[in-house]
Amino acid sequence: MIARLLRHEWRVLRADATVWVVGVVFAAAIGYAMVNGVRWVAFVRHAESAATAEESERHAQIQAQIDALQRDRKPVAPFGDPRNPTMFGSRFGPRYAMLPPAPLAAVAIGQSDLLPSYFKVSTDARETIVGASEIENPHRLLVGRFDLAFVIVFLYPLLILAVTYNMLSSEKEQGTLALALAQPVGLGTLTIGKVIVRALVLVGVVVGVSMIALVSGGASLGAPGAIARIGLWMAVVAAYGGLWFALAVLVASFGRPSATNATIVATLWLLLVVMLPSLFNLLATTIHPVPSRVEMIQAVRVASDEAAGAGSALLARYYEDHPELATGGAEQAMNDFNIIRVAVDDDVAKRARPVVDRYERQLARQQTMIDRLRFLSPAVLMQDALNDVAGTGVPRHRHFLAQVDRYHAQWRGFVVPLIFQKTRVTNADLAPRFEYQEEATAAVVRRVLIAALGMVIPAVLMAFIGLRRLRRYPVVG
Amino acid sequence: MIRRIARKELTEMIRDGRFRVLAAAVLGVSVLSLAVGWKQYADISRQHQVAQAATRSQWLHQTTKNPHSAAHYGVYAFKPKSPLAIVDTGVDPYMGVAVWLEAHKQNEFKYRPAADRTAVERFGEMTAAETLQVLVPLFIVLMTFSAFAGEREQGTLRQLLSLGVKPRDLALGKAAGVGAALGLILLPAALLGVAALALTSDGGFLSGSVWRTILLVLFYLAYFATFVAISLGVSARARSSRLALVLLLAFWFANSLIASRVAADVASWLHPTPSAVEFQKAMEADLNQPQEMERRLALRTAELMRQYRVDSPEALPIAMQGVSLQEGENHGDEVFDAHYGRLFDTFERQNTVYQVGGLAAPMLAIRSVSMGLAGTDFNQHRHFITAAEAYRRLIQRTMNDDIMAHPVKGGGTADAERRGPYVAGSELWAKVPPFEYEAPATSWVLANTRWSIAMLAVWLILASVWMSRPIATRAI
Repeated sequence: MIARLLRHEWRVLRADATVWVVGVVFAAAIGYAMVNGVRWVAFVRHAESAATAEESERHAQIQAQIDALQRDRKPVAPFGDPRNPTMFGSRFGPRYAMLPPAPLAAVAIGQSDLLPSYFKVSTDARETIVGASEIENPHRLLVGRFDLAFVIVFLYPLLILAVTYNMLSSEKEQGTLALALAQPVGLGTLTIGKVIVRALVLVGVVVGVSMIALVSGGASLGAPGAIARIGLWMAVVAAYGGLWFALAVLVASFGRPSATNATIVATLWLLLVVMLPSLFNLLATTIHPVPSRVEMIQAVRVASDEAAGAGSALLARYYEDHPELATGGAEQAMNDFNIIRVAVDDDVAKRARPVVDRYERQLARQQTMIDRLRFLSPAVLMQDALNDVAGTGVPRHRHFLAQVDRYHAQWRGFVVPLIFQKTRVTNADLAPRFEYQEEATAAVVRRVLIAALGMVIPAVLMAFIGLRRLRRYPVVG
Repeated sequence: MIRRIARKELTEMIRDGRFRVLAAAVLGVSVLSLAVGWKQYADISRQHQVAQAATRSQWLHQTTKNPHSAAHYGVYAFKPKSPLAIVDTGVDPYMGVAVWLEAHKQNEFKYRPAADRTAVERFGEMTAAETLQVLVPLFIVLMTFSAFAGEREQGTLRQLLSLGVKPRDLALGKAAGVGAALGLILLPAALLGVAALALTSDGGFLSGSVWRTILLVLFYLAYFATFVAISLGVSARARSSRLALVLLLAFWFANSLIASRVAADVASWLHPTPSAVEFQKAMEADLNQPQEMERRLALRTAELMRQYRVDSPEALPIAMQGVSLQEGENHGDEVFDAHYGRLFDTFERQNTVYQVGGLAAPMLAIRSVSMGLAGTDFNQHRHFITAAEAYRRLIQRTMNDDIMAHPVKGGGTADAERRGPYVAGSELWAKVPPFEYEAPATSWVLANTRWSIAMLAVWLILASVWMSRPIATRAI
């Protein structure tokens, strides 16, 4: 019976021009979106390889310089000497910490155009290093990207609603619903049959076109976690679609005419996808506003002034403990400068820490509020899920930043002892390198499944209520 | 006749339940967004003013030190917020809030507010501009899609036209009715907005704020009028009111969500920008030119020797350190102007593509104009960057001139070493005037957004002409 239903429904749908238009528009949008995604990933890869090349070139150059200086013993200004550990650590030797694009990064550009994928790690303060940004027209950042996530979050529900808003009401208005229900089939079964056919068409188009585009765009499907991510992606696309189909069934179950249904679903789409996310943003930034960076800048500057003022005092105390080291001369002056700078930097970091911590705590509170509110808007849930699948969301970037912090400490751990031992850098290769450790796939799976559940549960609920209401559907009149 | 039709339309609309709900929603969201915008503006404005005063105070209260150390200490410049940012925050969330003006480097603005927010930020902030650009057109569409098509379906259109009502009068009357309904809703919000602006009368920053507000209102009215005209035109020509609704909603969707993204793709495809690492590498390569520096220094030294009529550089009554520092700055300034200039010009070319793209979607046009008048677009930001950079160069010149004017006598001798390097104190710091920034004139804004204004005009004229053409050709 179901098979006959499906076949019949498919024939009816095939004859409807609207569905073809919808399918073609959708496929075109997905194709265009994937092209954008693939181009973006190519840009990030290109930038990262440019960074790697720059680092190797620079290191080769300074190693050659170091070798020449060691050999010829020509005099060189301390600020221009790559063997000077302070200069090596801050200017000549810094290496890049890079976040490689995840296997499915073309699917959602997410925050990766705003949060940089690479940082040049030196002995500078941590806030200076992670405050760097990628070059992008701010207007483009404001406007957003036409990527697959945009098509799925915004267009996909609209298309689902476009083919389902009148699936029952049009049959009723034409009079064919009563005829169909004269057959031994319940309205619930009929509705489910209609939904299945439409779902197969739309989900099929999404998955099919995107897979083709992904593969032809060179996504590394063999990478660890790629298959899992593809599975997750299909699951969330199905869950999100299921939610909107369930919503359509619920609206249809009220038995209103097609025109009214159209208005209702359009309003629901507008509310859930366009308005609620902005309103949540408004709420979160008003209730938990992040303290001003401007105030943070001032606080850190005041701290630096105090530390610098104390710098000479710090040095004097150091020499009181090590009188044998106070020899005098330009070499001495350079070493003194290096040591003061280390002591001052540490002091500034210590004083600035509470300010920065307060900042990050407030940001965390804002994030938590959004994490709770987002279950009210499927669009936010879906965007988050797609960002996590693509590896371009905030959690993965935080994971990266934590590693950057550790690497920064490692870098300072390499440079500072050289400063205190007053040793020159002779082998640039010994400077530590950054190795990115990818997130455990289990963590990604967990996050995405929570979002998917946030969509599946309301979907099941609405479908259940809708199908029950269909029992009292006014089939005629 | 038109007035009578308008009054009838207005009455009918007010009595419609749909209208009440939509009107309440639009008014509610407008007021909410204005309130939040005002609070954010007040907070940020105060923070920036306090910070600007603090950085000036830090500069003035530096201890005695060598002027070059002071140049390295530098000052911070904080981008001031324009009062009209209450209405349209533009690209401000995506641009840094502060820049460090130090020696030898033109730094970038740091700390984009959006980078400190959650991913939901990318869905947009519900600013008043967003409401006016996205929600109000939707309201117009929902209120007018059945203006003609609905009447045709009910049969009243035939009756009206049989009375001898000119189709153009009918169209204008309906447009006026919708306009009046819209006015009823937006007038309270507009008054609130103007009151908020008046309350933020620090006066200093935005010269010509009155003109900008008036122009903003006018351009938004043109945008709404365009939508009313398009909506009525579609309604008059569509076969059924359902088809009219679908077409108009598709237009609204394309206009609000798709057009700007596609324009962004086209803009960056036509005028690509480099990655940060490539940009830095190219700039550093141009900066590290020791031969160029030597050449410059030699030229300048020769010039100075001619000026002071001496035979050798040692006989010059000025400190050569100051000369070499200033030549370094001059070289750096040229490099920065070249590289940043090229980058910002590329951004501006991209923005022109957005403006011209207004031909395909009026939202692109009104967005550029709105951001321009609110002082929150890239052009305004570049204007500030230029002013801050000029101030940085002023600081460097003042410090280097002072070093030049105070050569340490008997340099190299033990006596000079004992005396130590030249140091200066608060009289020198006070020589540098405080950083005063004046916002550009409204005419400058209009010149920068001329393409958008032209596109808005084109849309308005074409839509109005289209709307007023006789509909008698269509089956009634």
